[in-house]
Amino acid sequence: MINIISLMFTGIIVLVIITAVSAPFESLGWWAGWYGEKEAPPEEEENAAQQAAAPAPAEHYLLYLSGIGAITDESIPEEEIRWLDALNQRTPGALLVTNVFPYSVTNVGLTAQRATAWLWRRLEKRRLKNPMAVGALLINLRNVFQVAVSADQRYGPIFNLGVAKATVQALKARGYVVGSGAPVTILGWSGGGQIALGSATFLKSMLKCPLRIISLGGVMANDPGLGSIEHLYHLYGDKDPIQAVGAKMYPGRWKLFPQSDWNRALEEGKITFKLLGPLTHNGKGNYFDWETIGPDGNSCADIALNAVTDVLANAGLLAASPQAIEPNQPADSQPA
Amino acid sequence: MIGFLSRILEFFGYVSAGISGALRLDPRVFDIVERYPESGWVVLTIAILGGASLLLGQSVILFVNRVRPVRFALTLLLNGIVFAVGLALWAGAIWLVGRWLLPEDPKFTIVLRLVALGAAPYTWGFLVLMPYAGAFIARVLSVWSFLVVLAVVAFEYNTGFWLAMAVTGLGWLLITLLGATVGRPFTALRKWLKKLIAGSDLDMRVQDILLEYMEQPESPTSKGKPV
Repeated sequence: MINIISLMFTGIIVLVIITAVSAPFESLGWWAGWYGEKEAPPEEEENAAQQAAAPAPAEHYLLYLSGIGAITDESIPEEEIRWLDALNQRTPGALLVTNVFPYSVTNVGLTAQRATAWLWRRLEKRRLKNPMAVGALLINLRNVFQVAVSADQRYGPIFNLGVAKATVQALKARGYVVGSGAPVTILGWSGGGQIALGSATFLKSMLKCPLRIISLGGVMANDPGLGSIEHLYHLYGDKDPIQAVGAKMYPGRWKLFPQSDWNRALEEGKITFKLLGPLTHNGKGNYFDWETIGPDGNSCADIALNAVTDVLANAGLLAASPQAIEPNQPADSQPA
Repeated sequence: MIGFLSRILEFFGYVSAGISGALRLDPRVFDIVERYPESGWVVLTIAILGGASLLLGQSVILFVNRVRPVRFALTLLLNGIVFAVGLALWAGAIWLVGRWLLPEDPKFTIVLRLVALGAAPYTWGFLVLMPYAGAFIARVLSVWSFLVVLAVVAFEYNTGFWLAMAVTGLGWLLITLLGATVGRPFTALRKWLKKLIAGSDLDMRVQDILLEYMEQPESPTSKGKPV
């Protein structure tokens, strides 16, 4: 019995190490041209037809980057899909863009055009039957290391460049005109928060527009992308320990380093923390949970939705807002 | 054929035992390496594997400079050989300092074999690839490698920690001084070889990508190909 447990333990450690060590290869291989050009985002000229068919430009674009449970841009947990539908209805004037898979440098979902696609398809089916299936954790494991790639100074510029290019293509396909100055807000959930921050480094100069990031329980590193955005709003629940991981794991976020990108952005008042109440990262009471009711009588999903729409309204990106979020709350409102 | 394969397996068994013994700073392994000149092939393999694995861990520089797969593999091998030569030079310096500072006078080839065991921690150098933890792992491996060399010096010269530290440190200092003076042609040769095999100057850094695309997002230079 002990042998089986130790074998399983060793197997898990080996799996984690292999996943971690192989994590940067997708980005590095893409940059080096090892994997050919097929998977890379299309050239501008190739995209001309798509541009012609694109809808009229919107006043404001809201890009959603899902959490580490995403398998493709469309294959995300069911509760998120319902939440996004509601968000779409509550953000008049904003065009919600969801077709960027943030855990791939080439915007290719796990179940498409990959040697390992068969594995992810099986895990996807398993997760559809049982969202808490243990095997599905492999998806989270794979994606969490892509978040680490985005945050790593050695690989981040390559990975984040790929995501930024995919983002520009996705926005253009929805009618965005580069150089028009139409504001873009990236809503990053969990690991999507870091990838939003990382890609912002390039998006600012690619889009030439005001760029904001809303992190919903985001796990973020000290990233140079902070210098490229108007503002970062970090929305979090006080029962969500995952979002606090970034502040502990990345030394650049420690107060010990006042000259880091993060601490300088804090000093400049570019980061706002908004506590949403007793919301969790996963399971009952999470940001997308319509069943659990929070202290204000709204569901947890509603609390998160209201917070997002408040941020947008306060920034003048929505027509109306029920409540206002106070910008730049004092530092003592920051999560530990 | 089967006999040949079993000898290969046996050889790599020794390599594996040499690596794990050196990692544990096991004096029994040092003793075997000291007494058996045949262990030279085993420690040479450990040194080449260590150098190749370390470069694999730091291979972002090869990817950033778009080194093609075959050249990539050859560059790893070259780095393994260069790394082994570097260890041999360090062994030479330690041997010279040891002769001057300590009463023991072992044969150079013994010191060479023992110091080459210092590459054992670097056989795990590929772990440096890990995002987030990689930089820390690189430092751990460096310290571990230094500890192995320190242990073999203490073992071979039958001396204590501080004298072993002095010999190892002075040996390293000597190599650094020689490298910066009379060793310059060799450094140039190494650079030339690397360029020849990698097919690139390897002068592009990942930070250059940031600067390039932040300054000219719509018109990357020939270096910044993917779009």
